[in-house]
Amino acid sequence: MPAGVRTLLLRPEAPALIFLVLLAIVLAFTAEGFLDPANLEDNIARVVVLGVIALGVNQVVLSGEIDISVGSMLGLCAFAVGAVGESQGGLILPLLAGIGTGVVAGSVNGALVTLGRIPSIIVTLGMLYALRGMILVITGGRWITNIPSDTRALGLQSVAGVSVPVIILVVLLVVVELISRNSTWGRNVFAVGGNRRAARFAGLSAGRTRFLAFVLVGVLTGIAAAIYVGRAGGVQTNAGQGLELQVVAAVVVGGTSISGGRGSSVAAITGAVLIGVILNGLVLLDVPAEWQSAMLGALILLAISTDALRRRLLREQPS
Amino acid sequence: MIIEEHRGEHPGVQDGAYPSASPAARDKSSSDTPGDPVIRVMGLTKRFGGVTAIDGVDFDLLPGEVHALVGENGAGKSTLMKIVHGLYAPDEGQLEVEGRQVTFVSSRDAEAAGVAMIPQELDLFPELSVAENLYVGRHRPRSWWGGLDWTAMRTEARRQFETLGIDIDVTLPARFLSTANRQIVLIARALMGDARAVIMDEPTSSLTEREVQRLFEVIKDLTERGVGVVYVSHRLDEVFTIADRISVLRDGLHIKTAPVSELDSEELVRLMVGRALSELFVRNPHQHGSIALELKGLSRSSEFTDIDLTIHRGEVVGLAGLIGAGRTELAQAVFGIRPVESGEIYIDGERVSFHSPQEAMNRGVVYVPEERQSQGLILPFPIYANITLSILQKIARAGFLNYDRERKTTDRFADALSIRGADVSEPISRLSGGNQQKAMIAKSLACEPSILLLDEPTRGVDVGAKSEIYRLIDQLGQDGKAILLISSELEEVLSMADRVVVMREGRITAEFDRDEATQERVMAAAAGVEEKAGAAEL
Amino acid sequence: MISAAVPRRLKLSRELVLLAILVALVIALSLMSPVFLTISNFLNTSRFFVEIGLVALGMTLIIITGGIDLSVGAGLGLVSVALGFTFKAGLPLPLALFLGVGVGLAGGYFNSLFITKLDLHPLVVTLGTLALYRGLALGLSRADAVSNFPGWFAYFGQFYLGAVPGQLIVFIVAVAIVWVLLARTRYGRYVYAIGNNEQAAHFSGVPVARVKTALYVGTGLLVALAAIIYTSRVSTARADSGTGLELDVISAVVLGGASIYGGSGTIAGTVLGVVIIATLRNGLTLAAVATTYQVLILGLLLIVAVFLNEFFRKTEE
Repeated sequence: MPAGVRTLLLRPEAPALIFLVLLAIVLAFTAEGFLDPANLEDNIARVVVLGVIALGVNQVVLSGEIDISVGSMLGLCAFAVGAVGESQGGLILPLLAGIGTGVVAGSVNGALVTLGRIPSIIVTLGMLYALRGMILVITGGRWITNIPSDTRALGLQSVAGVSVPVIILVVLLVVVELISRNSTWGRNVFAVGGNRRAARFAGLSAGRTRFLAFVLVGVLTGIAAAIYVGRAGGVQTNAGQGLELQVVAAVVVGGTSISGGRGSSVAAITGAVLIGVILNGLVLLDVPAEWQSAMLGALILLAISTDALRRRLLREQPS
Repeated sequence: MIIEEHRGEHPGVQDGAYPSASPAARDKSSSDTPGDPVIRVMGLTKRFGGVTAIDGVDFDLLPGEVHALVGENGAGKSTLMKIVHGLYAPDEGQLEVEGRQVTFVSSRDAEAAGVAMIPQELDLFPELSVAENLYVGRHRPRSWWGGLDWTAMRTEARRQFETLGIDIDVTLPARFLSTANRQIVLIARALMGDARAVIMDEPTSSLTEREVQRLFEVIKDLTERGVGVVYVSHRLDEVFTIADRISVLRDGLHIKTAPVSELDSEELVRLMVGRALSELFVRNPHQHGSIALELKGLSRSSEFTDIDLTIHRGEVVGLAGLIGAGRTELAQAVFGIRPVESGEIYIDGERVSFHSPQEAMNRGVVYVPEERQSQGLILPFPIYANITLSILQKIARAGFLNYDRERKTTDRFADALSIRGADVSEPISRLSGGNQQKAMIAKSLACEPSILLLDEPTRGVDVGAKSEIYRLIDQLGQDGKAILLISSELEEVLSMADRVVVMREGRITAEFDRDEATQERVMAAAAGVEEKAGAAEL
Repeated sequence: MISAAVPRRLKLSRELVLLAILVALVIALSLMSPVFLTISNFLNTSRFFVEIGLVALGMTLIIITGGIDLSVGAGLGLVSVALGFTFKAGLPLPLALFLGVGVGLAGGYFNSLFITKLDLHPLVVTLGTLALYRGLALGLSRADAVSNFPGWFAYFGQFYLGAVPGQLIVFIVAVAIVWVLLARTRYGRYVYAIGNNEQAAHFSGVPVARVKTALYVGTGLLVALAAIIYTSRVSTARADSGTGLELDVISAVVLGGASIYGGSGTIAGTVLGVVIIATLRNGLTLAAVATTYQVLILGLLLIVAVFLNEFFRKTEE
């Protein structure tokens, strides 16, 4: 096998990519309308919010932690975007409000995990409910509906025939992957997640590295919220409910190891697109929407089992 | 740094002249003189819970010297060096680097001050490439646009391995490396920076003879450049080959520091152990009976291959080899922890195959693991709950626990093994290392075994406990138990075993009877020189 | 009086603190609502906490081993749908109930397969099965509901023995069984051993995989029981039954002093935790605090409880 192909196959996202291609081929033959350019773009467009957040959660998982608070966090950020948009209009202010809200929520997560030394699953499970509670408390159950169209720009417009959300997703993928591969923090995330003890020995601050990963989730969730508001045109109190499951599914299905240290941003996006294609396929094949959650669960279990088996097969191969 | 100019011209320490240890003898300007220590440690004390790991230790390292730090397991060598490298904070005492008093908060501070360390644990980042492993936690080269310069890192990494004389693919993820190569990557990593002092903690524990020679050349090269090297090892032959000065630690105390010319091996052992070796080991003749355990062609991919081994009743078989030779893996496979992939196991002539430790214990096989804290004991549990853990199904009636019976069983073994230090209902973490080790053996004896697999049974225990454990092993042999003694301490294997089996890279490379076995022959078979001669012994 | 691992003194002090919190809570809430501090209100409250309490018993043991089960709420929904919709499809109700119990056991066993055979972290596994079970419940019920159960089915959730609700008796029996199991038998010792040091337990001959399997299957059984009681109490089988149950349950267990890192926890603590959470919910409802606030309070309570727990543990050491 040529060295290039071997390197490619060793990449964490390789199995998910191959599966995605095979699935696309099957759908191309079985599901009418799958290959329509509009439908193909819809596959990606419907998972932009999911994908943008998955880019952040992917870094958290790489560092050996988890964040399942993003469903409620998106809801809260969306309310910030919507409320500011409603009263002030424009794009920048609402976007900043969303990002700011996300950063605060992400910092709370990060601080509780790193300074409070509480396991991230408990912190973010608690935050999942606490943030949802905050949405209900702040809004009093009110929905935001009349959002001006300039606030919705990120979800509505398109450039040269490609919708803005898709462009944002690609740009963020490139940016996060560059940070991940070419910055000290990006590499420290892999080190801390891959071997905490050795990281300590090398003098890395595991706390700071993980804290920043949680903050990144906040930033990206804020951006995702602006896209969400743009696409949906309004915000309900249950905005983003259940999204955390899809995000974790995207990350682990894409090939990032749930035990940390192995994976890539490309993997997270591959996982997100795979979920988009599956959901799209379900619709095209007339499977009732109620089965979506079951499919998602099955997919998570399949992905983590494959990862476990791969680890077992790759057990200690000396060079 | 002013001291830089003098580097390389330092005459070394062959003349045996050392600067005065008294701080009063030095004034500010004297810190510029070439003989000033790179590292000086004064009155360092470190306690873990109630245990004092090191107690008021003094130590210094001169530029361009190799200073060997020796002592038994648990003497405090690693603790001392981890303090010097910023991993632990001392409870008392001072640390000076190049004449300046320093307080390290993390390893990064130590590295920045020019103190590098090759750790004992072979810890790498499994998913990162070899090249990147060298750079984690260090300043990385940047390319024109501000991103990391991967080409420069790979080039620099390759150059680093070239100077070590080792051929290794720097783009490979570290998880694919063999144990020996992991060690080499860690050595390369420590030598990457502009280190003034390099601490090597048992650097040869998994290297072959050829690689050890290569390492020694690198050390010579370092000292010629004025770098000081602390060489932590319990291999005395290596220490006498490479060291200029030797410091001995025992039970956390600094015993002696002297030039290598003033010590011989016998004297050094006496200093380390606190008495002559012959008093430490207890060995009476054993009556060997029928074959208790027989392994035929036992294999498990990438761990051990084609192992044939027999142990008779009443026989102590020593299993020697380097770290990573597959000895622990073999014992764990026999005990049902790791699945065997091919080959056969016979107990008293009957073929068995264990899928779990319970099955092995039911057939009278017990394994006393190497890692006391992570594999052997439930530290927060009381002593009695640890000792009865493996036999609960026997002492529980219909599943219900009975404290009196547990306590009685515990008292019987605690007395027999003279486990001292606490009431049996105290958490076992309150016991000293030696007593914990004895409790672990007591737990396995409670199963009434006929075959014992002991993995480094004296690791990290004091001399007194060591001697008691040797007496116990001897007694068990006399009682007709079959014993496999895995040990990295050659003295221990040579003194305690009836027969010595040597493993290297997952295979048995030699087997010696008690009177044929010598340090040299066992080391040669373990490290891979004279492989043919070793094989011929079979 | 010797139970398993944890020094007696510490457990007592922690439980005393919990009792003090409970008393303070009761006083505060009785000031906010005059109906609160009445026996009939307490007995009435108990009808609502039994479902949480039953599942919390199993969850306590799982958390002591260092595991977690996020799928319990979804499992409750799936059992409810399984028994409701097979009944609707014509299966006699007794058989449907047995089927429901079977589904609960199977759900727990399915969780344990991934955890013991593939050595996967329980958190991720049960996050996956949370989605799977809820999804199956939604898919099978087509998001519909069944409510025309025969009259005798109401016994499971609406029966009273004098003034005492039937499910409270079920709960007390379950508490007794699990308490004896954990504190008095070798299986309880194994549970603590696994939670404190799984590898050492394995090396010592503790049947780790079997114990874990039993715990997840046992929790599946408790989930099924809770599902039957719940379905009977509300007289409706729906796919979204038990949504968020995992939060109440985990909060109760952690509040009761079980370390989320495994190794310590008691049934007495968990029961206190359950009562505190139920009292809080009931009291807040009576005091006319909107349910929206309750979600917020519960989420924060979980984080604070874990934080205090680990804080206490560190100062104890």
